[in-house]
Amino acid sequence: MIAFQLKRSSRDLVGHTVLILFPLALIFFFDYLYKNINIETGMGTGGQSPITALVIGFALTFQIYGSALSFETLAEDLFSPMQDRIFSSPVEIRFIVLSILTSSTLVSFLQTAILLVFSSIILGASFPSLPFVLLVLLVSVVFNQLFGTVLLLLTGGVKTANMVTTIYGSIVPMTVGLYFPLPKGEFFRLLRMYGSPMSLANTASLAVMEGQIRLFIICLAVLLLLIAVLFFCLQPLVRRISI
Amino acid sequence: MLLQVDEVIKRFGSTLALDCCSMQVEEGEVIGLLGPNGAGKTTCIRSIIGLIPIDEGSITVFSQKQDGKNREIRRNIGYVTQEITIYEQMSGRDNLAFFASLYGMDKLSIANRIEEVAQIIGLEGRLDDKPKHYSGGMKRRLNIGCALMHSPRLIIMDEPTVGIDPQSRSFILRFVKQLARDGSTIIYTSHYIEEVEAVASRIYIMDNGHMIAQGTLPELIARIQGDHFIEVEVRIASEEKKLQLQQLPDVKEVALEGNRYRIVVPGGIPVLDKIVLILSEQGLVTINTKQPNLEDVFLTLTGKQLRDEVQS
Repeated sequence: MIAFQLKRSSRDLVGHTVLILFPLALIFFFDYLYKNINIETGMGTGGQSPITALVIGFALTFQIYGSALSFETLAEDLFSPMQDRIFSSPVEIRFIVLSILTSSTLVSFLQTAILLVFSSIILGASFPSLPFVLLVLLVSVVFNQLFGTVLLLLTGGVKTANMVTTIYGSIVPMTVGLYFPLPKGEFFRLLRMYGSPMSLANTASLAVMEGQIRLFIICLAVLLLLIAVLFFCLQPLVRRISI
Repeated sequence: MLLQVDEVIKRFGSTLALDCCSMQVEEGEVIGLLGPNGAGKTTCIRSIIGLIPIDEGSITVFSQKQDGKNREIRRNIGYVTQEITIYEQMSGRDNLAFFASLYGMDKLSIANRIEEVAQIIGLEGRLDDKPKHYSGGMKRRLNIGCALMHSPRLIIMDEPTVGIDPQSRSFILRFVKQLARDGSTIIYTSHYIEEVEAVASRIYIMDNGHMIAQGTLPELIARIQGDHFIEVEVRIASEEKKLQLQQLPDVKEVALEGNRYRIVVPGGIPVLDKIVLILSEQGLVTINTKQPNLEDVFLTLTGKQLRDEVQS
């Protein structure tokens, strides 16, 4: 079933192009600004180069939009006439939901990985402790896919889920300082580092690259906790739509 | 008994969708379920499959009570949905394989069954194409094929030929008849009387949530054997004249289809002269009396012309 869902996800060439090329274009653009117009990134880069922080920031941002991979696929199966075909079979709906979640997570993670590889080859971005950075990015993908799915099942409509993730994906990167520096002060520092799941993933990635293992573990643990909460929310929501 | 529906009542809010609806299906039968829009056909089917809970009555499928949770019942039903429910971006083969996998079939059985089903639905050469490149008729055939993959004991087809060309319709009817000859049990709902006449061994007629009649075609026709059916074609037909005809004391039903009035009158009553008198100003073209068919049965029992319902 997962193989079918993976094949199905891979057919959305327009979606993949947008989710890979668009962040790449933005990374190029911001990198150009940093190099030529002498403006600074608002993200706390620590000891890393601005391009590395940019790549992580945009990868995390487009993971939020990538949550549509699962909720749009789920909506096609569970909130359309296809529902009757699937519900009339003996398959348990949670298997359908889990297979779509798994395949969408893999595809979204692959998009992130491609982004990192391209940035590394073309723009010279470097990612120390790469396996741990990838781990954080994978955890972030899982969070976003679950978040989109819970939203869809909660609201019962793909439009609402799309609207919420679009608004969320537009505002949250600003609080991380991706587009412009945030004002100085403790509140904004906390907001930038821990204010949202994206901040936590961003902080964890930068922390592990700088060898701040404690900070990395704390942020990753909170993200995993959020995933557990979403997963527990998912169970009754799936039961609710199952016959 | 493969299926027993007993006095089922289903309400949607204040609307009574099924009103003491009963039905029996024996193994190997092809049941035609006929009724106008909103008669309750799809609700009846969805209740049988367990997609919606019923309010009163009982449904027994394969000698097991249908409570909506029985996976064994679902495993043995193949449901052809009224809307085309296939993945347009996946190949025909992928679609057949995926829907078979939902029924727990293993890869080898799926691979073998795909070839058999492809032959039944006539898509042998096109399985590796995506349905978005198929014609409407081919999509419909794949839609049916997906429900046949797991060799169900009971196949339920909800308007399987809606919106396709006559050639594709006749192809589908041919293979439905073949499935019936091979011993499949089928419930076939349709708006098209000629389809139900062609495939069904027994027919249920539904209207307003009731099963108003059931039987073989000769049995149903025998119910109205005493009636005569007169078809009058005129140059210019009008609703006003239809009303005038309906008001004649000896006329049971009148339907207007294009420029043709279909009139049901009790046998042995000389009413033709009155009919001619009313319609003479409209320019009479032809007058026929004919043997009753299923359409006449439907008209007599429901007072409705099924074809008009389709057009509306």
